[in-house]
Amino acid sequence: MDQSPPFKRVLVANRGEIAVRIIRACRELGCESVAVYSDADRAAPHVRAADHAVRIGPPAPGDSYLRGDRIVGAALETGADAVHPGYGFLSERADFAESCEAAGLVFVGPSPHTLAGLGDKLAARRSAARVGVPILPGTFEPAPVDPRDSLDAVMADAERIGWPLLVKAAAGGGGRGMRRVERAAELAPALVAASQEAKAAFGDGSVYLERFVEGGRHVEVQLLGDVTGNIVAVGERDCSVQRRHQKIVEEAPAPGLTAEKRRHLHALAVAVAAAVGLRNAVTAEFLLTPDGEFAFLEVNARLQVEHGVTELVADLDLVQEQISVAAGRPLSHAVVAAAARAAEPSRHAIEVRVGAEDPGRGFAPVAGILAEWREPGGPGVRVDSGVEAGTDVGTEYDPLLAKLLVVAPDRDAALARLRRALGEFHVAGIQTTLPFHLWLAEDAAFAHGQLSTDFVERHWEPATRRTRAREVAAQLVAARLADRDSAVPGGRGDHRGEGGRVASDRPAGDRLDGDRWGEIARREGVDRWPS
Amino acid sequence: MAELSAARWRVTSVGEDATMEIAADDLAPSQGTRNSSVRPLERTEEQRALGQLRFEVVVDGWRFELIAERADRARLRERAHRTSSAGTAGAVTGVRAQIPGRVVTVSVAPGDIVERGQRLLSVEAMKMENEILAPRAGTITRVDVEPGDRIELGDELVTIG
Repeated sequence: MDQSPPFKRVLVANRGEIAVRIIRACRELGCESVAVYSDADRAAPHVRAADHAVRIGPPAPGDSYLRGDRIVGAALETGADAVHPGYGFLSERADFAESCEAAGLVFVGPSPHTLAGLGDKLAARRSAARVGVPILPGTFEPAPVDPRDSLDAVMADAERIGWPLLVKAAAGGGGRGMRRVERAAELAPALVAASQEAKAAFGDGSVYLERFVEGGRHVEVQLLGDVTGNIVAVGERDCSVQRRHQKIVEEAPAPGLTAEKRRHLHALAVAVAAAVGLRNAVTAEFLLTPDGEFAFLEVNARLQVEHGVTELVADLDLVQEQISVAAGRPLSHAVVAAAARAAEPSRHAIEVRVGAEDPGRGFAPVAGILAEWREPGGPGVRVDSGVEAGTDVGTEYDPLLAKLLVVAPDRDAALARLRRALGEFHVAGIQTTLPFHLWLAEDAAFAHGQLSTDFVERHWEPATRRTRAREVAAQLVAARLADRDSAVPGGRGDHRGEGGRVASDRPAGDRLDGDRWGEIARREGVDRWPS
Repeated sequence: MAELSAARWRVTSVGEDATMEIAADDLAPSQGTRNSSVRPLERTEEQRALGQLRFEVVVDGWRFELIAERADRARLRERAHRTSSAGTAGAVTGVRAQIPGRVVTVSVAPGDIVERGQRLLSVEAMKMENEILAPRAGTITRVDVEPGDRIELGDELVTIG
């Protein structure tokens, strides 16, 4: 096997935890790394981690991380020979992949041609159906949105599919351009609303219909493919715990599947990926119905946020494999070996996404300075983060701060490890999703593997937990004041004693003007946050 | 010491309608110490003047910004606020003791013209010297106390005409 570095220098076209993650892989492979950064990230960890760094513009993503021209320019300027897009931003933009290739740079991902085809979920649905992979009942062509068009035909489709159903954006992702429709009367307005949302988010208003399955699970298969067309499954993940149709907790393997069931699922995933000609790191997403049937949903031709749980279980470095495959090398022996044992995993990994969000207010994003930031450690614990104490968490970017991953011999041990690690995770300055994770790690339904995509809606009731925590918080303050009064002889109670340790901070949550909220709401696909 | 251990604290959670009163006696120190941290925050001038403290407390991942003050002082402040806002210009305002204690100094005499916020007298209470300020501008019409007097909560101290 070729041990030389696959590339001399890799530009990482991303920020935050994933940029740090990719830079780490580059370093281990012996490739130099180039970071790009906006003005907001001048002092960010990913900039310090890289061998070289290039400023690409002001904080707004449209002026920096989405500026393909500047990123290609930075790559040429620094002599990079490959570009890794990470996830989000430009990772699924065929035009960006194309301009990389036109500039003589290797794009770490599928070919521009494949990317262009994949943007359309309907095309993937058709491909899957063609090779006999089960899909949910639904439509294969964009539904007419304008009620003046033949609504009769859509209604006939809808009746055939059955209620409730989902209206989904063909170009969509992350829950945007998606509407659940309970009955016939709601269909026409849902088509219009979903289409408009999809048009705004993806520049394409095409929508289609798909059956909604109550109590289904989201299970996805990690695939790796090389230029020879060899494609293998290295394991699956369960990502059923979501909020706003966005994943927040992921685990590998998916609980409760037999080896036979797993093998079947992996084979379906490979069949779909082969049908659409994928290479590099690919994820095929399936719905696991309550009757135990798999139905194909979509493919993602990029590194997933949650790739780490598969790495921990399969004992692989998926980012290194991506880079190696992009350099034209065949799948490594490690990948082939991992694929051979993928149906009978001997470890269990869980990831929680720690975000700058308020789980007591519908996971609304918050902003502010991370006054304190202490990550957990110890056996079986991995933290992928892109922040540190002092980081100013703005609203320009995704609220993800860090991913906490744990691995153990089985799921119960992994849960115990997760509880232990969460207890060590300390953040001050802004609200994070940690209370949600602490609850989940102790929840009986989760411990029993009773997963479904509506798990959070059904089980998460933050009000009483938060109120209880608030009472404890008030008692801690009172205890501290009482201690201090009794500790200071003749304490005069003007509390200047605190002066030496006064922290400089900015209160969180009140820095967002109306426009910003609008921006965030659009990005997160919600109309309003609960108060 | 008895006085201190009986102190009650009023703790308000910023950004929500939540005020709690806690006696030092009620405290169960072991409770909630798991996964928690308390961090003092900078105070505004006004909070400093009112003897309020500001903390960030994180319990099981939940973050709170809390303002703490002695419950008795908070009540007196509220009553004083009500009294002063009730009195319109030209009406008579009685300044009452907001705290039991002993008068240390008296800075005004009948006939004096005072500005709002001007010092009227100082009172020692709970080993602290507290200044009592004029709630509004006006002329002092009566002074009911002199240095050394013991005063009880609500005693009339000074009247502003």
